Parts: sequence; C-alpha cells; structure tokens
Amino acid sequence: MADTQEIRGCVIRTDLYYSVDDHTWVQLNDDGTVNIGMTDIAQNMAGPLLHAKTKAVGTSRKKGRPVATVESAKWVGPVKSPISGEIIAVNEEIEKDATIINRSPYRKGWIVKMQPTNLDEELKALVTGDAAVEAYKKKIEADDIKGCEHVEGFEA
Amino acid sequence: MDDFEGKKILVIQTHGVETPTRTYSPLFYAMAAAAMEMDVMVWFTMNGTNQLKKGEAEKIKLDPTSDVTLKTMLEQAIDSGVKLRVCQQSLALWNMTQDDLIDGVEILGATSIINLALESDHVMYF
Repeated sequence: MADTQEIRGCVIRTDLYYSVDDHTWVQLNDDGTVNIGMTDIAQNMAGPLLHAKTKAVGTSRKKGRPVATVESAKWVGPVKSPISGEIIAVNEEIEKDATIINRSPYRKGWIVKMQPTNLDEELKALVTGDAAVEAYKKKIEADDIKGCEHVEGFEA
Repeated sequence: MDDFEGKKILVIQTHGVETPTRTYSPLFYAMAAAAMEMDVMVWFTMNGTNQLKKGEAEKIKLDPTSDVTLKTMLEQAIDSGVKLRVCQQSLALWNMTQDDLIDGVEILGATSIINLALESDHVMYF
C-alpha cells in the first residue's frame, strides 16, 4: 500500500505527483505512461459526481488543457491535465458511474492514461512526497477548505 | 463523444432575482460549455440584468443548506472563463449604471448582441 497522510480528513498519497492548484494527480507507471486523476479534496469539493466525460483516446493535450469534464449537482468543471501528452486510454467505468471517483479517487477512479511528451520537465512543476503534504496544508489553509468526508467503502 | 472544443455558445439570460429558480441553470450550462473548452458568453438583458447589481446576487440561495449563492455561481462562471456581458439599454430599466455592476461584467449595446448571435455556433435563450 502506498503511504498516505491526512489533512483535515483529506487524504494525500505521498507516492503521487500533484498539481495542487488544479487538484489533480499524476501516477508514474513502469512502462513510461502516466495515470491522471482528481484528488480526494477535489472530489469532496465537487460532491457526489453525476457524470464524468473523458476526451477521446488519441487526443493530444498540452499541460493545463482538460482531459475530462466532471459534474455534480452543484459544480461542473474541467479536469485539467497536469502534463502534456496523448491520451492512450480512458477509464470507461467512471463514465458509467462517476461516483467511483468519490469512492476511490486515487485508484479505481483514475480518469485517463497518457503517454507523456515532456514529462521530465513538467514533473518539476508538480509536488510529491512530503512537499506535496506541505503544499496541501498551505492550500487547505489558504482556501479555507473545511475538510473531507468519505462515503462508505472509500479507499485511498 | 464528438469534440466541440472552440465552438461559440451564446447564452441569453432574461430572468433575474425575482425568479431565483431560473437564475442558476443558465450559468451552470455556461460553465459546462466552458469546461468543454467552448467559447462561452452569457448576455444579461431585461430582468436578467438585476442580478448583476452589487449586493443582489448574494441574497439568492436555492439550497438553504449550502453556502452557494447566485453570487458564487457568477464568480465561478467568470473563473471558468465564461464572459459576462450586460445590455446597456437594460441597465436603465433598473436605474443602474456601470458603477452598480459587480466586477467582471462588461457592457455592450444592442447591435453587438446581434453580431454575437450571428457569429455564435449556438444560442441558448432563457
């Protein structure tokens, strides 16, 4: 199991890379690809998700462009890619049941898999490990995020 | 799913603070379109104009258990890249001037809205 830390109940996995302002994560895979998803904080701020629509496989994305749109009863917005690359797979399960993202934001709720094109450079702008925990402490404080609540069956 | 990135959507909002349940949805649709990378503008005219008066949108809350007000929705729309524009002529209906408007809203005249409607890929009218 990956190491996790909690800040006001919000789970941060220390093995992932984060774009703190966009509340997204990047997981480095052994084959050079990356998985991208929303953080626990993001799924909490959005609330129970009703729909998730990913961009199509084969779509090229520059860092900051959306790889998906997600919507709840109270919010709709993009999931901005923390890195540049081509979408090589999408999580079809979240299109059938977007609440998977609420229940398992870092595992079953991954959103897209990408083949990165500028990973080494772009990772420098992301935070991981203890630095990620510190960055989120500041973010949660600055944005006055009340904390995270988890549905039954939540997994980090 | 087809990709509609870059399409232009014009949302026309004619309902204001006297009908709260008609105020959120146009902004929600606008934000959805912006999240899909469309070029989105909301045009406030007729009664729609009065929600842009400073201090008014904060009073409108559809869900009493939520912190989200109409002002929150307007701010989220701006943050999402949605352009908010108001009809110059309609300001007079509500005894409003530019100084009365919340931040982030620009004033356009009637001829501009005709041009924008013709240039848009789709117009949604509320």
